[in-house]
Amino acid sequence: MSSIVLYIRLRQKFQAKMNEIISIEKLAHLIGPKDMTTGLKQKPIYKVKPEDNAFIVIDVMDIIAAIYKEYPDVDIQTVGPSQTIIEVQPKKRKINTLFFVIVWILLFIGAGLTIMNFHEDVAMRSVHQKIYYLITGTHNDKPLILQIPYSFGLGLGMILFFNHIFKKKFNEEPSPLEVEMFNYQQDLDQYVIVHEKKKSELKRHDD
Amino acid sequence: MIKDILLIIIGFSGGLAVGSGFVAFLTVLGIIPRLTQLTKTHHFIRGYEWSVILGAVIGTWGGLRNTHLIMPALLLIPIGLASGIFVGMLAAALTEVLNVLPILSKRIGINEQILVLLMAIVLGKVFGSLFHWSFFVDK
Repeated sequence: MSSIVLYIRLRQKFQAKMNEIISIEKLAHLIGPKDMTTGLKQKPIYKVKPEDNAFIVIDVMDIIAAIYKEYPDVDIQTVGPSQTIIEVQPKKRKINTLFFVIVWILLFIGAGLTIMNFHEDVAMRSVHQKIYYLITGTHNDKPLILQIPYSFGLGLGMILFFNHIFKKKFNEEPSPLEVEMFNYQQDLDQYVIVHEKKKSELKRHDD
Repeated sequence: MIKDILLIIIGFSGGLAVGSGFVAFLTVLGIIPRLTQLTKTHHFIRGYEWSVILGAVIGTWGGLRNTHLIMPALLLIPIGLASGIFVGMLAAALTEVLNVLPILSKRIGINEQILVLLMAIVLGKVFGSLFHWSFFVDK
């Protein structure tokens, strides 16, 4: 019996360009007999296609299958994560600076507004009156010119945070809500696993 | 003299506590990561830190001292919009942190129509806010 052991450790995440051919060397760290690993490292596993999403997940089983095809009798040991995420880089980065300026102004005004609210014991009305005075130098008890855009911004901010409307346009990253739903489902599943196990163990002891 | 020094120390330590608390609050809610993720501007994150700091400092100055500029009122439209977006994101982040929506949608058994649920909250906020500023404050 052969006792050659091959150790694989997948990388957590890395970036790849469009149409790039991903070899084992890029995906994972290999340790084993040198003559074996040098050949295996060049072995292609996946080619990034234009129709792929922004993220590609490669499972360690894909790599094991590729190695197994060549060396069926080698003992493969995996260490670390069992999946690796490939982030496909978009072709060009554009209008980033414009976005940066917009977000900068947004955070600037937002931080100012929230700290003013804190100082005013969270009285948005007097903060609005104060901002009106701060900019124009005149007093206005009902600064609707500030408050109507504020009201619409409120809705827009929530939509932006959950990234629902621009989802197709902007990126394919999951929205926080989707991540939260996923986490909640996983917690539930974990609970079921632990809870059901306990129940069945109790039953077994009762018998 | 002693009194002045004491006041300076008290003011400074108060500001230190509030400032660090403010930044910690923003960090917990994760608004800045969300915005950088949306706009793909991860490498500008230092700039955003300065934006928050300057905003807080200038907001403090404008709020506590009665300085004012003489600018056209039209400038207030983008300011109002930006502060609304910021507060809206805060509200959305709070809803998210509190896990309201996942549990609610699970309870009533809708998974696909969560967008409708979300739009109800969004529209409620917009119209509630409009009503508040234009009619309710007159009461």
